[in-house]
Amino acid sequence: MVAGSSLPSPPLLITDLAKSVPGGRVLFAGLNLCMAPGEIVAIMGESGVGKSTLLNLFAGLDQADRGRIEIDGVDLAALNEEARTGLRRDRIGFVFQAFHILPHLTLAQNVALPLVLARQRQAHALAEANLMLGQVGLPGRGGDFPAQVSGGEMQRIALARALVHSPALVLADEPTGNLDPQTAETILTLLCDRVRASGAAAVIVTHSERAAAAADRVLTLTAQGLAVHGD
Amino acid sequence: MIGRRALAALIGAGLVLPSSRVFAQGREAVVFAPVTPGRRLIFPADHGAHPAFRTEWWYVTGWLEDRGQALGFQITFFRVRTGADPRNPSAFSPRQIIFAHAAISDPALGRLSHAQRIAREGFGLAQAKVGDMDLILDDWRLRRDRSGVLQARAGGETFTLALALAPTQPVLRQGQAGFSRKGPGPDQASYYYSLPHLKVSGVLTRDGVRREVTGEAWLDQEWSSTLLDARAVGWDWVALNLEDGGALTAFEVRDAAGKAVWAGGSLRTATGDLSIFGPQDVRFTTRRRWSSPRTGARYPIARDVEVRSTGGTRVWRLEPLFDDQELDSRPIGPVYWEGAVRAPGARGYLELTGYDAPLAL
Amino acid sequence: MGTRPGLSLQMLAWMVLGEWRAQPGRALAAVLAIAVGVGLGLAVHLVNRSALDEFAGAVRSVSGAADLQIQAASRTGFDENLYPQLARMEGVASASPLVELDARIEGGERLTLLGLDPLRAFSVTPNLLGRPIAGDAAGGVTTADALFDQEVITLSAAALQQSGRQVGERVQVNAAGQSAEFRIVGVLEGISGDRSLGVIDIAAAQWRFEQLGRLQRIDLRLAPGADRRSVEASVRALLPAEAALVTPQSEMRRTESLSRAYRVNLQMLALVALLTGGFLVYSAQSLSVVRRRPQFALLRVLGLPARGMLHQVLIEGAVLGLIGAALGVALGAGLAELALRVLGGDLGGGYFSGGRPPLAFTPLAALVIFGLGVTIALLGSLLPALQAERTPAAVALKSGSGEAADVGGLRPPWISLGLLAAGGVAALGPPVGGVPLFGYGAIALILAGGVGAMPWLARGLLSPLRNLNHPPPSIALAIARLWGAPRQAAVALSGIVASTSLMVAMAVMVTSFRGSVEEWLTQILPADLYMRLEPGLALDPAAQSRLSAAPQAAAVEFRQSFALRLNPDLPPIQVSARGRPGAGAGENLPSAGATAERDGIPVWISEPMARLYKLSPGDTLVLPVAPDAGPEVFVAGVWRDYSNQFGALLMDQAAYSALTGDPDRAEASITLAPGVSPAAAIPALRARLPPALAAGADFAEPREIRAIALRIFDRSFAVTYALEAIAILVGLAGVATTFSAQTLARRKEFGMLRHVGVQRGEIVGMLAAEGALLGVVGALAGLTLGVVMSQVLIHVVNPQSFNWTMETRLPWALMATLGVALVATSAGAAVLAGRGALSNTAVQAVREDW
Repeated sequence: MVAGSSLPSPPLLITDLAKSVPGGRVLFAGLNLCMAPGEIVAIMGESGVGKSTLLNLFAGLDQADRGRIEIDGVDLAALNEEARTGLRRDRIGFVFQAFHILPHLTLAQNVALPLVLARQRQAHALAEANLMLGQVGLPGRGGDFPAQVSGGEMQRIALARALVHSPALVLADEPTGNLDPQTAETILTLLCDRVRASGAAAVIVTHSERAAAAADRVLTLTAQGLAVHGD
Repeated sequence: MIGRRALAALIGAGLVLPSSRVFAQGREAVVFAPVTPGRRLIFPADHGAHPAFRTEWWYVTGWLEDRGQALGFQITFFRVRTGADPRNPSAFSPRQIIFAHAAISDPALGRLSHAQRIAREGFGLAQAKVGDMDLILDDWRLRRDRSGVLQARAGGETFTLALALAPTQPVLRQGQAGFSRKGPGPDQASYYYSLPHLKVSGVLTRDGVRREVTGEAWLDQEWSSTLLDARAVGWDWVALNLEDGGALTAFEVRDAAGKAVWAGGSLRTATGDLSIFGPQDVRFTTRRRWSSPRTGARYPIARDVEVRSTGGTRVWRLEPLFDDQELDSRPIGPVYWEGAVRAPGARGYLELTGYDAPLAL
Repeated sequence: MGTRPGLSLQMLAWMVLGEWRAQPGRALAAVLAIAVGVGLGLAVHLVNRSALDEFAGAVRSVSGAADLQIQAASRTGFDENLYPQLARMEGVASASPLVELDARIEGGERLTLLGLDPLRAFSVTPNLLGRPIAGDAAGGVTTADALFDQEVITLSAAALQQSGRQVGERVQVNAAGQSAEFRIVGVLEGISGDRSLGVIDIAAAQWRFEQLGRLQRIDLRLAPGADRRSVEASVRALLPAEAALVTPQSEMRRTESLSRAYRVNLQMLALVALLTGGFLVYSAQSLSVVRRRPQFALLRVLGLPARGMLHQVLIEGAVLGLIGAALGVALGAGLAELALRVLGGDLGGGYFSGGRPPLAFTPLAALVIFGLGVTIALLGSLLPALQAERTPAAVALKSGSGEAADVGGLRPPWISLGLLAAGGVAALGPPVGGVPLFGYGAIALILAGGVGAMPWLARGLLSPLRNLNHPPPSIALAIARLWGAPRQAAVALSGIVASTSLMVAMAVMVTSFRGSVEEWLTQILPADLYMRLEPGLALDPAAQSRLSAAPQAAAVEFRQSFALRLNPDLPPIQVSARGRPGAGAGENLPSAGATAERDGIPVWISEPMARLYKLSPGDTLVLPVAPDAGPEVFVAGVWRDYSNQFGALLMDQAAYSALTGDPDRAEASITLAPGVSPAAAIPALRARLPPALAAGADFAEPREIRAIALRIFDRSFAVTYALEAIAILVGLAGVATTFSAQTLARRKEFGMLRHVGVQRGEIVGMLAAEGALLGVVGALAGLTLGVVMSQVLIHVVNPQSFNWTMETRLPWALMATLGVALVATSAGAAVLAGRGALSNTAVQAVREDW
């Protein structure tokens, strides 16, 4: 804990992280990363190298074999399951390749989920969600159901949901993987703009060089650790 | 008095004889013994029951002293012979029905406490013994013991009476040596005797509290087979123990217009001189009436009784112990007024029937 | 951090309502299943309650408001001198003696004839009097006739109606072999609707019906403040062997025991429907949880604690249960009302004579059954809820699909085997208070174990099919899927396996029962012709001789019975004279076990009597027909009897006459002389009867009696069949909705298959094959489990509730029909749902996430 410290805590601080798959094969070891507030980091790598596992570790959905992960100055290892869930709810936003928009909720309800989970009042949560929908280019669509929107619009909704509760860190897993190139471009720009505007840091796991190019830093994940992309 | 209270009760209780219509059907008819003049009353045998006659009753009324407080009381046993087929060998055959009332008149209560019993004779649970007075009805009993004292036990949920009634005077045969006419018809008559000035001692239990009591009472026993005159709707009757040792009886049978159909009575002085009254010798007049808040019946409870005898005409000015001495014996009997009354120099009981509903047969 | 686990209310509302908006059919099916279960349970309970209230009311109105009652062990009564002794007893306020006879009004039906003393009844049982003893003079005169007149009778409204007479008319009353005429003078207003009752004076009853010196009953009213126990003790000390003390409690117990076993069985059946509803909730919720894995995963990632999933699913189950149970209570009240109108108070069981009691709605029972419905819905949701709680967020999120194969091998079903074993042990348990609770527990355990073992069973049954050479692609796909995901299959089947197995169990039991009864009827009715006199009539020895001497008859065997109470808490047994003169009563009896020989009077007791009174051959017992204990008899044998649930005892003619002093007989079985037809014999035999009896004699051939008996049997099981049919319909509806849901969830799979070149028809074929295979597995499992459970019903539940045994007979036709229906429904439902799923384009399906 960094209570009393005058310096702002980094949104994500990783020290000597290591993870193997159940079979025993080492995915990666000796990972180190320190992110600054507002920074966008893209992580690339070959399939199966453990990019998604890494995001799961950041989110507290998976346990590392070794090393330390701090979100917003809080050591994940020091938290129990319940506290990790709370941390995720309050401090992290998610964007998925497969959108994961609940079909039976309205767009506003989908976006408002993190606020509702944090027990904000429904009216307030829905107002915030509609505001957020406006910011991602879907003004006035809060009452629609997901069946009525396109794939690109799905990801806009997902983005709105990831940012609606002002997280310190946004984790995005192949956010443009299911989109055609033109839509992907638009969404990526929007994602970076909105993340920067909110002051959050973001980790984008992607195969796309174009996506990576929008980031402040691009890193490659290998079994040996994180390297600056291109090295 | 024929049919007086007993008849009232019988009609209400439905103990009158079945109509001839029913009677006729393939059944051996019951023949009731007739009441005829000239039969000598013999005691103690005539204290006992006379089951050949249709109805009979033993009627005890009197005043008690309970720690200086005057109370009235009555204990009455009735026996009725029915028209039940005499061939029926069943021990349950309802040849004779026994029923009984008991009541306490307490001015402090302001109304009567009342209890009653009824059963068909049999199994020793209900009986009217022949030969001497011994009446049993469940836990009630009226019995003449070997010393001639009457032992009475009766009561219900609110009170019980256990009294010894000792005769102080000889038997008083009413009418013609016990043959007492009750109406204009020659067959309208009963056998009737009284025992006035019975000396009472015993125990009255009320609400679980036992009290030794003393007092003075009057016994009537009467049996008959004959009904009242067809015009009669009710009757008034009074018996007084006079303080000088005398005994007065007076009755009047009324028609629907309130006129006397028949009247009679007797006066026996302390010295034993007996006057028997005919219809012309007795007159009841009314000073005050009382309306029952329960039944609406209007009873003439304050009366003047005027009797004419060889000694001249005398008037007894009767005043009730208290107004509400109405006795509602439904469902097994009628509604009538039966209460303790006093007159200057005399105490006794007054009965007023047929004021609630006419006693239609 | 301030995390609080759990769901916020609005969150819950969004998720639950959203889910139901998306899948209204499934939610509705679950709600309806619970509603049907609760409704049936409540209806059966209410009908029973109403009937029992009515019956108890009738018993009470005949017993009056008596505090205690002395009843004769048999119709011969007891000495009347007991009456004054009891009347004088300390603590007894009033005693009312009664003569009580089974009687018949000429041209009418049976009635109970009471001879009473109205003056005594007035203070003990006033409702037995025609009118209140008159309070007014006018009424008094009318009542006087009825009160002591020895030739009048007062009838209950039902008896008056049945007699077809009016008040004022005369009727001939037959009882105890005597006949007497009475004039009807009134109606017993204190007697409730259906009770057929006549009241005459006690002296007339003793005289006219030859009961002099005898009473059948004494009603007692206790003095205020009397100690009931000490009075009961002194009464018991005074009673002769031929009379017994009956308290309102024992009277009620006896009333209840009359039909308790039947009621409990129906109640259990209703619970079975509810249980099936529980399985449907389970399968609906399981599917819904599987389908919503990604949704739950997302919520987990977004920060909903794991416990939140559990709560959501449980609350969904509770809401389904609440709505279903509420609907069920309304349904139950309606059904009960309808059933009371159509079937009567015993639901066709034949225990209460012809009454249509008013509905007695008991809020407490409604509440209990309502709670049971909600609880079962919750239990049905518990496993799926735990499954939801354990959903591994990261995996589910990545797979993005609701379908999941059962990865790796299945663990052996130890828990299910354990449950089955426990069921086997429970079946050995004794009855609890006359109700086979352990037996029912055994059925529940076997059911749970069987359903739990379904995945393992499904895979086991499908394994041989995997080795088929070159099956059509649709079949191969179907086998592969079912083998690979047997848990999914089991979920779909749980409801139907439950209801099928219970249906089969009940059907096997009823078939076995009916078969045994049919066989028994043939054995028990060996003669050519049977004659029975109407109640109250009897053949004296002279009439018996005349009948025996008829040239049309080769042999005539007479029979006479009376009811004898051995235990005040139980309905009386029937004691009968049987057998040819000189031959024992045991001749040609359908034996149910060993026999014994010894000195003394031999009697043959029925199987229910042997079980109820724990008697076996060689045992002795005393029949309470005399003041001081009566004769001792010994059990020579036990015979199978389905006619009297509470026991019957047979003795030979001489022993019966000696025991009862009654040489008269009311029934005869006639073996006809060779070549004589029944049609020709009946008029000839009737002509040999005295004129008074000829009109009251019914002749019947064995086949008519058999037909009537079986019709009664079928009627009494009609409700059982109906309840079972409902349970199975609910189960089939569950299969249909479950299959539709599973199929719809696989649209993406179908799209993929279409992409790789599988024909549309082949997919439909695959679904049909899957459905049919599942149906086969379900049918096999259901039938097997059902037969196993039927053995519990036959060997545990029935002997313990009805004291009847029977031999197993399998209803092959019904079982086959059921199996075919099941397979057809499963295949049909799968195909129907598949067509819907296939109507979307393949491309869309592949791109869809949900």
